[in-house]
Amino acid sequence: MSTAPQGTHSLAFRVMRLCKPSFPVDPPFRIDLADLFVGEDIFDDPLAAANLPPLLSTQLSKSMDSSDLTYGSRFILQHPSDAMGFSGLLLLPQSFGTIYLGETFCSYISINNNSNFEVRDIIIRAEIQTERQRILLLDTTKSPVESIRASGRYDFIVEHDVKELGAHTLVCTALYNDSDGERKYLPQFFKFVAANPLSVRTKEITYLEACIENHTKTNLYMDQVEFEPAPHWSATGLKAHELHPADNSSTVEVFKPPILIRSGGGIHNHLYQLKLASPESAQMKVEGTNILGKLQMTWRTNLGELGRLQTQQILGTPISRKEIELQILEIPSQINLDKSFSVHLNLTNHADRELGPFEVWLSQDSVHGKKNVMINGLQTMVLPQVGAFGSSDFHLNLIATKLGVQKISGITVSDTREKKTFDPLPDVEIFVESD
Amino acid sequence: MEEPSPTPDPPTNQLGSLNDLAHELASLEDLATRGSWRSILDKVSRARSLNLLTSPHDHLIYLSYNVLAFSKLRRFSEASNEIDTLDDFNSSYYKYETYPRLYPNRSGSMIPFSLRFIHAQLPIKLGNRQEGLDRCYLLLKFIREKIKEKESHDLHDSVRIWKRRENSVLNCLIGHHLGDKEFSLSLDLIKDLINRDYLDPVLVSKLGYIQMQIGDIEGAKGSFNSVETMLNERKSDEYFLSEVQFRNLVNRNKALVYLVGKDYVSAVREYEECIERDHTDVVALNNKALCLMYLRDLSDSIKVLEKALERIPTIALNETLVINLCSMYELAYVNHSEIKRTLSNWIVHVAPDDFDASCTRVLISKDGR
Repeated sequence: MSTAPQGTHSLAFRVMRLCKPSFPVDPPFRIDLADLFVGEDIFDDPLAAANLPPLLSTQLSKSMDSSDLTYGSRFILQHPSDAMGFSGLLLLPQSFGTIYLGETFCSYISINNNSNFEVRDIIIRAEIQTERQRILLLDTTKSPVESIRASGRYDFIVEHDVKELGAHTLVCTALYNDSDGERKYLPQFFKFVAANPLSVRTKEITYLEACIENHTKTNLYMDQVEFEPAPHWSATGLKAHELHPADNSSTVEVFKPPILIRSGGGIHNHLYQLKLASPESAQMKVEGTNILGKLQMTWRTNLGELGRLQTQQILGTPISRKEIELQILEIPSQINLDKSFSVHLNLTNHADRELGPFEVWLSQDSVHGKKNVMINGLQTMVLPQVGAFGSSDFHLNLIATKLGVQKISGITVSDTREKKTFDPLPDVEIFVESD
Repeated sequence: MEEPSPTPDPPTNQLGSLNDLAHELASLEDLATRGSWRSILDKVSRARSLNLLTSPHDHLIYLSYNVLAFSKLRRFSEASNEIDTLDDFNSSYYKYETYPRLYPNRSGSMIPFSLRFIHAQLPIKLGNRQEGLDRCYLLLKFIREKIKEKESHDLHDSVRIWKRRENSVLNCLIGHHLGDKEFSLSLDLIKDLINRDYLDPVLVSKLGYIQMQIGDIEGAKGSFNSVETMLNERKSDEYFLSEVQFRNLVNRNKALVYLVGKDYVSAVREYEECIERDHTDVVALNNKALCLMYLRDLSDSIKVLEKALERIPTIALNETLVINLCSMYELAYVNHSEIKRTLSNWIVHVAPDDFDASCTRVLISKDGR
């Protein structure tokens, strides 16, 4: 993790990562005395039930008497929750661990004088070096440490918000006068890597679904996940209906189930409904990009250790200025097998010039092959030209050849003069009944 | 040679001492209290080879001590083998009514419950976690059936004891799930405990610690507030806690909230209040030392832990505290092996047999060399 120079130095840096401590947990073999001295059903006997407790409690006091220098508490169950093995004792971080983008790197640095002589005029610097920059964390140049006695120490704690991925080096340097009056320079390097904690994938229609995936080795408690919409949008987070309304009222009121994303690949999805802030802003839609906004995330790990990240601007599907819009206005409520039914459609021309003539057909779906809903009659319908900003209603005769839930898919329109085919309509589901 | 007389049937006589319950039980218990588990193994072995154990319940109790000793010494295979020498726990061999001359007017199981408790957890220690969890959940089911059975016969004392066992097994399960970071499950189990009216301040505090561990700080604060409310409303010591212990619990919870908010000065203040009230509060001592470290005061943090070991060795000596102290030594001293060896030697003289001495060998080098 680090490299150090050759040669003898009176001073040496020692470093410990100071993230939050942890609660060790380890269920112990701790026993209630009544479960050891006697059979498990003995308290059925009223005589035993009367005579045993005083004896047991005397023995318990004796075994747990701290003045008697005993280790009774290591094997006797005093309180039922002792069996959990979770005492509230805190444990210092035992290893450097993994550091993630968005977290704060905190470290205890101790510079030790392990020689038998005093050193003087110590200038100490600590900085973080990454590929892109050097960030100074500490510099005593203006007020050097006067001296560190033999076997003495000078300690400091540094913090740095990790904003870059990849290799980081904590560089600690000391410039000092050793006992011979020689000015010496000690550099020490401690390397670590900042990894990416989360990935965010988005899918959107007029809804934005964000899927957050946890790449770290611990569970992440998502404190806040907020979508900050771009100026012309407003966003509402959508949540599933609360599943536990009727909790026992005596239950301690702290049971909001936490959103925990499992370590090593766990995911959690968030859904936002996006609305344009005002009708006028529809005209602000610029062709090409459609910026929706950013996702802000704050998470916590062990003992509230904080991390935060913001995504880049999330883009919606590019708006192409649609010249032709095709919509289904009405589908009959009853559709029978092998009986022709009529679908009412509308074609609107958003352009400022006359377009058409047009052809409308059901495109062949290469994946699914034969369709269960087809055009009844001529497979292509011809429509006359439509004037600028005008629209035209028409009917398509369809027939369903299979019962049950079926799809009308692939209704496609093309401009025969400009030789432009537009995207087909999305699938529409219908229910086909028998006669 | 005189044959030893069988231990008289427990509690039908006046109970003078533990020896009325089983052969030389007082001596066994004394050894256990001192953590002399190896001596227990010797004693059991000797009693068996000299045929000093005559009644079935003597055999079972000695076997239980043997199993417990092996488990404490982390010799889990041997503990498991020892239990395997028994028939099924529910066999009639281990029922009082099978021996009417020895146990007149008594019926039920003479298996010490600790055997079931240890048996359920051994697979986890032997690396077969799923088997262990299955056994624990089956044990829970067994206990609940027993409770129903005793309730239907109005055996109130038995019901109380079996409910306490249910409580312990649930807590043990929570511990195992927590150890594997199955937080949602642990929270569900605690909820279950609380709903069964096992609501108590120590348990709710632990709920708070779990919430903190997840990162749900607001939830933890809510739990700690409930504990404080319980303290203010308390009627009697119905919660297994003395007044001092209860107050210290509340202070320690407050300290944790400060610690999480990085207000280490206030956390230290809370812990000092605890120590003032009860100088044997090891959790407060240990955690105070950690806060001093976060306040850049490595020297004092070391002093707090060293003093604790010096003044209250049998209470303060635990693996977590020692790991913390060794971590501090590694940071404070370039040549830390010497001071750790001193500590290690002291531990050898003072510690019980089950102390895991590997905790003094913190392997990660932090000196950048």
